[in-house]
Amino acid sequence: MFGSRTLLLTLVLSLVAGSAGRLDAQTPLREVIDGQVRAKWAAEKLTPAKPATDAEFLRRVTIDLVGSIPSYEETIAFLESKEPTKREKLVDRLLEDPRHAQQQADTWDMILFGRFPPGNDADKRLGFQAWLRTQFEKNVPYDELARTILKAEGLSTDGPAMYYVQYKNAPEDATESITQQFLGVQLQCARCHDHPFEEWKQLDFYGMAAFLARLEVVTLNRKGSGTESTFVIGEQEVGDIQFTGPAKDAVAGKKGEPVKPKFLHATALVEPAAKDGKPAKFSNTAPPPKPKFSRKDRLAEWIADPKNPYFTKAIVNRVWGQFMGKGISHPVDNLSPSNPPVMPELMETLAKELIVHKYDLKWLTREIVLSQAYQLSGAGDGEAMPRLYHHSRTRPLSAEELAECWRVASGWTPSGATAAKGAKSERFRPLESGYMLRFFGTPNSGAGDFQGGLQEHLYMNNGPLGSVIGGKGSLSEFVGTASKPVEDRVRRLYLQTLNRPPTAIETEKVSAYLKSGGPAADAVWALITSAEFRFNH
Amino acid sequence: MDQPDARARAGDRGNTMPPICNPTAHLSRRALMKGTLAAAGGVVMNWGGLTGTALGEEAKKERKHCILLWMNGGASQFETFDMKPGRPTGGPYRPISTNVNGIQICELMPKMAKQMDKVAVIRSMRTSQVDHPGGIYLMHTGYQPRGNIRYPEMGAVVAKYQGLGDSDLPNFVKISSNGDAGAGFLGPKYQPFGIGAEGGLPPFSTSQKPELDEKRRNDLRSFVDSQFVETSRSEVAKMHRESYEAARRLQKARQAFNIDAEWAKSKDLYGDSEFGRRCLMARRLVETGVAFVEVGQSSYDSHADNASWHRGLVPPMEHAWAGLLEDLKQRGLLDTTLVVWTGEIGRTPTINNRAGRDHYVRCWSTALAGCGIKGGQTYGESDENGAEVKTNPVTEGDFFATVYSALGINPKKENYAGIRPVPLANFGSNPVKELLD
Amino acid sequence: MPSFDPTKSKLVYQLTFGGSWPKAVAFLGDGQRLAAGNQFGQIYVWNLPAAPPAGAKPGGKDRMAPNLPPVRRLEGHVNEISQLAATPDGKLLISTSYDHSVRVWRTDGPAAGKAEAFLDGSTRQKAPGKQAAKTPEPSEGVMVETQTASDILAGHANWIFALGLSADGTRAITGDTSSNVIVWDIPGRKPIAKWAGYPWAWIVSASLAPDGQTALVSEYAYKRDDFDIPPPALKLWDVATATEKLDILKVQFPKLDPKIRTYGSSQAWRKFVADGLITTAFSPDGKLIAAGQGGETDTGKVHLFDAANGKLVRTISGHRYGVTSLLFSSDGKHLVSGGRDTQVRICQVADGKEVAVLNTPRGGQFKDWLSALAISPDQKRLAAADIAGIVHVWEFA
Repeated sequence: MFGSRTLLLTLVLSLVAGSAGRLDAQTPLREVIDGQVRAKWAAEKLTPAKPATDAEFLRRVTIDLVGSIPSYEETIAFLESKEPTKREKLVDRLLEDPRHAQQQADTWDMILFGRFPPGNDADKRLGFQAWLRTQFEKNVPYDELARTILKAEGLSTDGPAMYYVQYKNAPEDATESITQQFLGVQLQCARCHDHPFEEWKQLDFYGMAAFLARLEVVTLNRKGSGTESTFVIGEQEVGDIQFTGPAKDAVAGKKGEPVKPKFLHATALVEPAAKDGKPAKFSNTAPPPKPKFSRKDRLAEWIADPKNPYFTKAIVNRVWGQFMGKGISHPVDNLSPSNPPVMPELMETLAKELIVHKYDLKWLTREIVLSQAYQLSGAGDGEAMPRLYHHSRTRPLSAEELAECWRVASGWTPSGATAAKGAKSERFRPLESGYMLRFFGTPNSGAGDFQGGLQEHLYMNNGPLGSVIGGKGSLSEFVGTASKPVEDRVRRLYLQTLNRPPTAIETEKVSAYLKSGGPAADAVWALITSAEFRFNH
Repeated sequence: MDQPDARARAGDRGNTMPPICNPTAHLSRRALMKGTLAAAGGVVMNWGGLTGTALGEEAKKERKHCILLWMNGGASQFETFDMKPGRPTGGPYRPISTNVNGIQICELMPKMAKQMDKVAVIRSMRTSQVDHPGGIYLMHTGYQPRGNIRYPEMGAVVAKYQGLGDSDLPNFVKISSNGDAGAGFLGPKYQPFGIGAEGGLPPFSTSQKPELDEKRRNDLRSFVDSQFVETSRSEVAKMHRESYEAARRLQKARQAFNIDAEWAKSKDLYGDSEFGRRCLMARRLVETGVAFVEVGQSSYDSHADNASWHRGLVPPMEHAWAGLLEDLKQRGLLDTTLVVWTGEIGRTPTINNRAGRDHYVRCWSTALAGCGIKGGQTYGESDENGAEVKTNPVTEGDFFATVYSALGINPKKENYAGIRPVPLANFGSNPVKELLD
Repeated sequence: MPSFDPTKSKLVYQLTFGGSWPKAVAFLGDGQRLAAGNQFGQIYVWNLPAAPPAGAKPGGKDRMAPNLPPVRRLEGHVNEISQLAATPDGKLLISTSYDHSVRVWRTDGPAAGKAEAFLDGSTRQKAPGKQAAKTPEPSEGVMVETQTASDILAGHANWIFALGLSADGTRAITGDTSSNVIVWDIPGRKPIAKWAGYPWAWIVSASLAPDGQTALVSEYAYKRDDFDIPPPALKLWDVATATEKLDILKVQFPKLDPKIRTYGSSQAWRKFVADGLITTAFSPDGKLIAAGQGGETDTGKVHLFDAANGKLVRTISGHRYGVTSLLFSSDGKHLVSGGRDTQVRICQVADGKEVAVLNTPRGGQFKDWLSALAISPDQKRLAAADIAGIVHVWEFA
């Protein structure tokens, strides 16, 4: 009948319209993402790259989720599988892999400390790193994670207290970092003067710094137990931050005015009147007592709150950037009006949904990597991190990822005594952590662009990579077995190192190389030091 | 770009690297076009960046170079450039006259006394980091150490703005010196290439493999990379490949660091000391196009026996410095090479009970010569005891602004640390106009 | 043969000094006449009676012995006095200085004039061991006679660190920081031999054997870089021919090679030489050579060598930080050394046993120095120059 057909049509049309822009109970987030991204491409008249092949996807998502390339067996199994939902199953497997928790811990350790944490005490932080990994193993909701770090209770060797240790006696530095890392707000300019074009005034900066003014890093005397010192974060009952006006008017010895704590966009904190008195002397033998009123805890609660205007957007933007290259607002820690998101509706959607899903980062990760937007091919117009995601991003592997990928690609196996669990030296074995961190630890410039540089290649060319390649049962041994057909050896070589079969010309060239007596170890070397290996793309 | 034909011809000749005597003969355009500068191994040496196609452009633009003479530990201004004869702070050394009327320097520097027409001395340095780590950072970067920002060293800045993109040698070389700020937020491309105290190359700079094996595996790797670059066309893949090519060029160019043959001829000019050798290496590297070379001497930290320490350290230093200036002048390089002399701190006017001088930053001396600098002058004065700056104080920011300006680099240019723009020389600092040509 | 009992000493004088730290002292023939020189090039002379005059008081708080003003100032040098030595009859005083000159003074010579000398010891007392940044306020002046040198011996072109005399005082040896050594005939006031050590070296100490025929020369130079450390030398030379007789350091370190200047090679001799064997002496019988470790080394020791073959006989005396000056008693039984620990140590030569320590350490983490020692020919008085601007005089039983 005419009436019912029209009704059906209308229903169908409205359903189609619904799934393109709105999330409802039936539409997974990934589809909403794809709808919005496609709309943007259309608006900008961009032609996206073709979808990623199985090989491209396998390698990319495995590195992103567990910090390693898949093994040869895993590669073969995935590429040969005919299962229609194999990609989804792969993602599920990787998210439950214990290495995912380590990968997340590494990522967040870099965000919270970087390679060169300020001060001299936070360089060794095995306790914090172990604690962080446990949080991700348990998939602790992100708001709880943030709050725990910012409340910094307990011993630094057990976890969160380590974060503030890098900002010992430097509440201003801590303020810059906390607002940047947890809120995506850049206040550092307002430290010295009212911001030239953003809304922040110096009093905004000092109002935030005031929350940390009473913090004191206390070193506890502990006997034995490893090479890490033990710290606790004490908070005094009294103390204020002094504000002396714009830096250019600064005069040595000028006393400042105390500034009361004030959340951004809010009025001053209501706190009980502080009794006059001198700060207490915290002893070194036991953790100091908690103050009756903790400004630090108030700050932690205000930050890690769905009602905070920046908190949720900052995290979804950061996680988006982790997998897609650029954040929806880029750089990921700059959510200012002068840096608007390229897809505002997407940002809103992600933020809203993360709250609904109670800050479950695993869930968000799953949705992002299963979107079509994530699964595009890397072959594009050359931009490493495309602004509108019309091809996949190319990012350098971290030093830790590189060491693990080299081990898996070469088929290296440990033998002999193992180093202390979690020690950096184990992460980079058989290579030395000192050189690895020095040459591969910070491959980008301060603006976040990849540079690499001479030292990387000198190390790869003349350094100890030979200790990773070679040995019993290694890939090099297999590739060098002259009794096996050369095409099989080349195929295995590519599948194990680059997780894809070789092209015809690659097979031809490398076969010729092996047949002319080229050492197999050098063939493995050539592949694992190539650009295709060094990046995730 | 590369010129395969020229390479092949040069390789056939089997030339070893010619001795560098006279730039006009060896660096002439014609000589290059003929490939007469080819080194063993068939790679055309990239002398000062005068490659085939870029020839005309490069010949026109004169790149600037910088040599930083780093007096680690803090040389005493009272035993070098700011003599206070007859004052209780003057110490036992006496001043001598120089080839500039009215300028006197320490008797320990008779050779530099004949070079003072080239040198501008700042006697009014006034900085704020009095300990070694802070002072070393300050006088390498021009900035106070700051928790959240990693400022780059002078060498990284000069490498970025005056370095040659595809040169055979790294653009920032550090010979036996201190300072670990490195390239900071400018990125790993500008990290220093560190030569050891006795001229040793840094770890991993030399291949362990026979030449043929190297070539074979390098060819294979280049092939692998070319496939990926073609398919992905990613800019970072290209960067990866370019850095790799640079590392390969370095393998062939590293004989530039071997100065034994030249040392035999230059020993008298530079003085028979390790510092003399390092300065010779610096001259040679600058001549081959390296933008920035830092040469260190250690250690001037004379908390005890200050007079003896300086008698040990200053004569070989000044001999080499004078030799360097003379050598650069004769080779026509002084106009395009800035020679900076500084340490991290100065030393106290008061002599302590160990006959030493301690750290002091309220008033101390540095010196500049060469490219962009008006020599033959002193800038700024200290008071009669050398305790405070009397006129024209110069901060570390001003010092760096002056150095960059002399090298034709605008000190207000900005780079990014995160989203934060950071000028090369600190906000509020200014180049000292009187020092600039 | 005069001798003394080192265990029975008494501090008899603490003489305030004019100008900056005294760096050299010498008795002029007997224990009653003393000369001391400072960093400005002034040499003061005192007449010290056998017993301090009645009513003579110590020169300031923390002083324990009386002060007497000097009677004469010897003028002419324009830079630091490095060494003073008097001929045994006390008639001539020889001084060496950083002003490149050697001067000979007639100790009984006429005065050239009078001048007012300001002795600022009390000002320096406020900050012992440190030289005030501003000119100290003058305390009351004293009138002194002035005198100029009878002869100026030219020949050195750089700072003179080293001075030694033969036993009869007719020969002197001097050495400078350009590695030049000159042996002088003192009565004739002329050089009789010249030679040079390593081109980079400074002559930090030089002594003549009692008969004046053999010279001991100690060469040292501070590093040119942490990795460029020229080796030192300690050698015996024949004066008549100006040739090397025995390389004492090479006897201890056969691998010592002047061409090798690496940090690694310096480690071989560093503990033995410290910052130079900066004070040397022959024993009165000429059979032993003493050489003291200078600089800021942990324990300033004195090495005793056999003068015939250069072998190490023993190492004695444990100053905290380096030795600055040493001498043998005239009977050869004791070695007296002064150091950077503000103390004088007296040890037995035969077995190295320390039998007396004079003075107490003073200063912070790094102690104040005694810069020079002298003993009167009758062995009854010992003088030491102190960085605090005083000259101590002890008397032995």
